Amino acid sequence: MDEKTIVSNTPLNSFYSLNGEQFKRFVEASLRWLKANQQLVNSLNVFPVPDGDTGTNMLLTMQAAYNEIAESTDLNIGHISKNLAQGALMGARGNSGVILSQILRGFARVLDNLPEMDAQLFSRALSESRNTAYKGVVRPVEGTILTVIKDVSIAVENAITRTSDLALILEEAVKSADESVKYTPELLPILKTAGVVDSGGKGLFFLLEGALRYTKGLTLDDSAVVIKDLASIKFAETMEAVEDGQDVEVVIDFAPYKTLDLESFYEDLSKIGTSIQVGEGDGLYRMHIHTETEKQDEPESLIKKMGEIYKIYKEDLVDQMKRIEAKKNEISLNKFTPGTIAVVAVSPGIGLSRIFASQGASAIISGGQTMNPSTQEILKAFEDLPTDKVIILPNNKNIILAANTAKTLSVKQVEVIPTKNVAQGISAILRWNPEGDFQQVVDDMNESLEEADCVEITTATRNVVLNGIEVKKGKIIGLLNGKLMIGADDVEDAALKILEKTDLENRERITIFYGSELTEDKANSIAKQIEDKYPDHEIEVHYGGQPLYPIIMSLE
Amino acid sequence: MNPIENPLGSIFISHRALASIASQSALESYGVVGLAAKNLAEGITQSLVKDPIMGVDINFEDSAVIIDLYIIVEYGTRIKSVANNVAELIKYQVENTTGLRVKNVNVHIRGLRISNTD
Repeated sequence: MDEKTIVSNTPLNSFYSLNGEQFKRFVEASLRWLKANQQLVNSLNVFPVPDGDTGTNMLLTMQAAYNEIAESTDLNIGHISKNLAQGALMGARGNSGVILSQILRGFARVLDNLPEMDAQLFSRALSESRNTAYKGVVRPVEGTILTVIKDVSIAVENAITRTSDLALILEEAVKSADESVKYTPELLPILKTAGVVDSGGKGLFFLLEGALRYTKGLTLDDSAVVIKDLASIKFAETMEAVEDGQDVEVVIDFAPYKTLDLESFYEDLSKIGTSIQVGEGDGLYRMHIHTETEKQDEPESLIKKMGEIYKIYKEDLVDQMKRIEAKKNEISLNKFTPGTIAVVAVSPGIGLSRIFASQGASAIISGGQTMNPSTQEILKAFEDLPTDKVIILPNNKNIILAANTAKTLSVKQVEVIPTKNVAQGISAILRWNPEGDFQQVVDDMNESLEEADCVEITTATRNVVLNGIEVKKGKIIGLLNGKLMIGADDVEDAALKILEKTDLENRERITIFYGSELTEDKANSIAKQIEDKYPDHEIEVHYGGQPLYPIIMSLE
Repeated sequence: MNPIENPLGSIFISHRALASIASQSALESYGVVGLAAKNLAEGITQSLVKDPIMGVDINFEDSAVIIDLYIIVEYGTRIKSVANNVAELIKYQVENTTGLRVKNVNVHIRGLRISNTD
């Protein structure tokens, strides 16, 4: 099992029966392959509760199951599978883990005390897996791991009428699992809305595919080189590690044409530069490197050969360093006059925080699209302010609920202005009067919500069809007041395209807040183009510092 | 009761409505094979009304909901995980559909159903 050579299209070695020891090696292969794909499975988790832990739960369950047989030298497949099922039961975590333990339990019941498993038995065992899995719930939800085990067992029942070669049957099983997983969004609407396939079903697919890859001698350890979560690779993270001469930071997002051989990829990259990081998320890879100025185009030409490039960021590190130093300074909040009305704003970036602070916000909570602050964090931000009148600006539609909860938990007089975005937040705070009558101020601020439109430009994190617009993962998208309006090839294009969809006739001012991933020069050049196109409008550019959204625009 | 304020007035969500959400979620949660009457008296009362919501108790502490759930679990599943899963699902569904805060979900295992003894 030490081989890491990647050989595609290796012919299958036929086999017609499996004893306990051989079965154990298949299980180990399944476990390793699930582990390599754990993050991917996590990233799909939107049902039943979107907490992103399906891959981890399945892996821990499978690990507990394997631990029960890891030391065993028993040749009897009945004994091995029984111990495996026992381990899964004891270690079952989460929904998919409990279902997985039931699948293994049904499987073991058929193999009982038998020394070996042939094609007939494999099919019967899978049918029993399906039956046992379905028995554990009153109202089975289709489009989940349950559907996948059902489809697989049916495919295997059919396959054994044609062959008794377990290698071929396993191939059929994997194929049907793949198709079944791909079909899950048709059965479970919430998956379709989110643009994902079912996470538990995908986990089961990886377990089966791991076994198949083992028969083909394919690698099971794409994780041999540590892969990070794609979103965890950000600019300026490795600033301390900048070496002399490595003046340019290059980050490239790409989708490989075929399985990426990470070891040789790292080797090639290390000839170009330092601070190499590779991240993966849902099939998309992100490469990060620091190079000399003369070599800055080399990563691009290397990756071009391996896959489709979605995005390239380049950044002059020396320049970046200066900017970061300048921006590192703490935000200074105005001195709060006790007893007046306090405003608490949630802000997704340092630049925006500074803007809220300059408008008089008494407390600022950092948080935004992918980093919602908790109720406790919101509560903490204002509980100690020397006033009993507090107004909260959530500035994101996902934070309004937490803000409302904070309101119900506080003894103070708290009102939440339901600002769904930064644009509304800024236009609301402009109406704030700390000395005014509380209810009057709240009404004024609520009234301001209609006065600003918010444009957001970001990257699609998955393929999605919404409002009749089809967008591929990794492409740039533009949202108007939270609604997907356009897809585009780059930020610049998106900014111009989406403005055509807005009601600019009735707006006078366009304020651009550029994010942490966009340079100041780039932001200014985009602003220039907007200015040329809309000469009657007043254009302003500010550093917003928000992640993930290169541009947020407020139209007033 | 639990008024949620909106600009036009208040929204009241009855215990029964909350119990329905909890009971539907429970029955879709893996490993839960039934809801059970909390005690004999409830069993008799519930059997007299149409469409009973059995096995769910709703209480309020301030404006937060406390749910007690009485369930039957499939024998051969890990009870602790099944209980965790159903509690998480109910908390998520109630909070997500009503906007109320769920403080506790207490899960009482009233029995196991044995389909297979292995």
